[in-house]
Amino acid sequence: MSDKPKRITLEEWDLRYEQLQRAGVRQPPAVAIGGRPNYDGPLSRHLEDGDQRLLKLRYDNSAAALRLWNFLLTEEDRLHQARAKGKKLIGTMKDLGTVPVMAYSFDNVVAFYPDGAWWIPCVMELSAGLLSIADSLGIDESFCPVRAMLGAFVTGAHFPVPDRLICSVGATCDDFSAIAQRLNSLGHPIFWWEIPHRRKPDPNEAAINLPGGFRAPKCQVEFVKSELARVKAALEESAGEQLDEKKLSAGIKEANQVRRYLAELRHLAFTAELCPIPALEMLIAEMLAIHFCSDRRETIEVLKELLGEVKARVQAGIGILDADAAKIFWVNPVADLQVMNLLEDCGGRVCGTEYLFTHALDAIPEDLPALEALARMALADPMVGSSTERAERICTDIRKLGAEAVLISRIPGASHCALEGEVIGEIVQDKFDIPVLEIEVPPVTDSMRPTVRTRLEALVETIKARRKR
Amino acid sequence: MIYAGIDAGSRTIKIVLIDAEKLQIIAKGLADQGVEQDKLTSELFERVLKNNGINKKDVAAIVATGYGRNAVSIADTTITEITSHAVGVRQLVPDAMTVIDIGGQDSKLMRLDRNGKVRDFAMNDRCAAGTGRFLEVVAQRLGVELDSLGRMAAKSRSPAAISSMCVVFAETEITGLLADGKAREDIVAGVQAAIANRIIAMAGRNIELPIIFTGGVAMVSGMDAALQSALGQNIVVSPDPQMTGALGAAILASDRFNKASG
Repeated sequence: MSDKPKRITLEEWDLRYEQLQRAGVRQPPAVAIGGRPNYDGPLSRHLEDGDQRLLKLRYDNSAAALRLWNFLLTEEDRLHQARAKGKKLIGTMKDLGTVPVMAYSFDNVVAFYPDGAWWIPCVMELSAGLLSIADSLGIDESFCPVRAMLGAFVTGAHFPVPDRLICSVGATCDDFSAIAQRLNSLGHPIFWWEIPHRRKPDPNEAAINLPGGFRAPKCQVEFVKSELARVKAALEESAGEQLDEKKLSAGIKEANQVRRYLAELRHLAFTAELCPIPALEMLIAEMLAIHFCSDRRETIEVLKELLGEVKARVQAGIGILDADAAKIFWVNPVADLQVMNLLEDCGGRVCGTEYLFTHALDAIPEDLPALEALARMALADPMVGSSTERAERICTDIRKLGAEAVLISRIPGASHCALEGEVIGEIVQDKFDIPVLEIEVPPVTDSMRPTVRTRLEALVETIKARRKR
Repeated sequence: MIYAGIDAGSRTIKIVLIDAEKLQIIAKGLADQGVEQDKLTSELFERVLKNNGINKKDVAAIVATGYGRNAVSIADTTITEITSHAVGVRQLVPDAMTVIDIGGQDSKLMRLDRNGKVRDFAMNDRCAAGTGRFLEVVAQRLGVELDSLGRMAAKSRSPAAISSMCVVFAETEITGLLADGKAREDIVAGVQAAIANRIIAMAGRNIELPIIFTGGVAMVSGMDAALQSALGQNIVVSPDPQMTGALGAAILASDRFNKASG
């Protein structure tokens, strides 16, 4: 375990890094062998890549957190190295967790998540000009910040252009479909597969239980299975390799290992008496479930170390926030990472999350044929069902985790955010009578910081006043 | 013991001093907000003390609230305007269950519990829609005083339909309406109704009575009627609506620092 846990600045991390070096902590030990990319070094080295936002964030001070950040911030290097080694690069878009499980079942494939470019405008504080490029392509700020992906494809300054792009359509947000279609029109052909809107089975209709407590008609599961079979064939063509049941099942088992670590991490982070890890590091860790940050084996090692740190803190009864921090359930990921810090600065603690990919956190059934299992998982995506079903799952988690309020972070331009927040808010308030607050978080919140801060502080004040009733 | 509340709003700074034993307002002051927020606040504070013959050392604690609260260096602590307005309104109207506060830059709705604590709240988006600034722009565009808006709206026979709630776009719409020969009275009535509808949309369901209207915009004539019409419920304008935030902050200062010293 590291020293007393706390949140520190980038400058403080440089000193901390020297301290860790002197203490003989080398990181990450798992990648120092085998000729794989080296993620070592102080956090501040990423400033050289133009990641100016890092100067304004506060980080967990553990070696495990440093490893997590270094892993995240070196993904572009890893992708270029994979390309140089002749690996096939697959850009998997929108489905948030299904196709990467298939892709990593091949020996010669690295999958990544071009949608992840939505954080580049935040991390580089708009200096990369990605949003301006999207503007010039007719995808303006009325669309989700994922539009930054278009700029990243145009400049080629971030990730290499993938050998194949695979994107789900159908029950996905309208703006993402428009962005992906625009990408397609720029000469980046996309392999489309359809995910239908998950509906409740009709009476007497054959139905199947899905992960996460949802149910869907059997015919929908069959349809998704057939779509995934098409995806599999496309991947086989790219990889020049057949993906048999054994390999795919092994891939599912590996993905489940990531999910198991995350499940344990989430349980401890959200329920320990003292919060053992900041919300920002938890957000980054949870995101690994979707795409493995271009290295599934290292994802497992990074999460294992983080979990070890968190367990040690919980056992020692120490944490990074005050014991009376207001317990807040967070809905939707933020475009500006600084807002996660801000909640904690205001006296809040994230005690549960629903970042739009809870299906990528549930275990994939291992007792079913592989494509059937993946189809069930894909259909459990909170974004492909109704807002009411999404809200019901959120309510289940709120009950389990004892949240005192819900914070819904709206993503500017994201079509699904326009109405979902209200639906979720009303259902939560009907069931629990706890405060629900909606905030809008653009990629860089600096000019809005006072108003966002007021909302968060008021939420914390409200929670604490309610405790005294 | 004397406690002070400072509401550093986006348009004005308000200060209230209370006698904690009697829970009475003993002094208050108001000044326009500006670029040098901290300096302006300190100057107003000094002025209020001087005008009322109060010695600074007799002020036991100061709580700042409002948009500019973090810039007030003389404050001992800060509390948001959500909590402060709720406390201030409850002091003036003890049975208040819902508070609508429309200030210069934002608008909010707070639901209170039977003990006067905030149960939950909603705030407007980051734009100036549904705020005092919106009304200012409209008054300026129509060449009328803010104070006269209510009288003008009362004369309207056919309120204009204002579809945009963005200040910039609404100004364009108003230009178009004027060009079409729409009466200024009808435009004012349309604007006030649009603001009221926006606030009501934010409120959602289950608004408990009584509803108290506070903040600087509560003093703009006609806004209470517009809210009442949109909501279909009686709206009560808080006594001294511009000062409720500062009053709440002063009471919170007394609560917090009295307990701390006791």
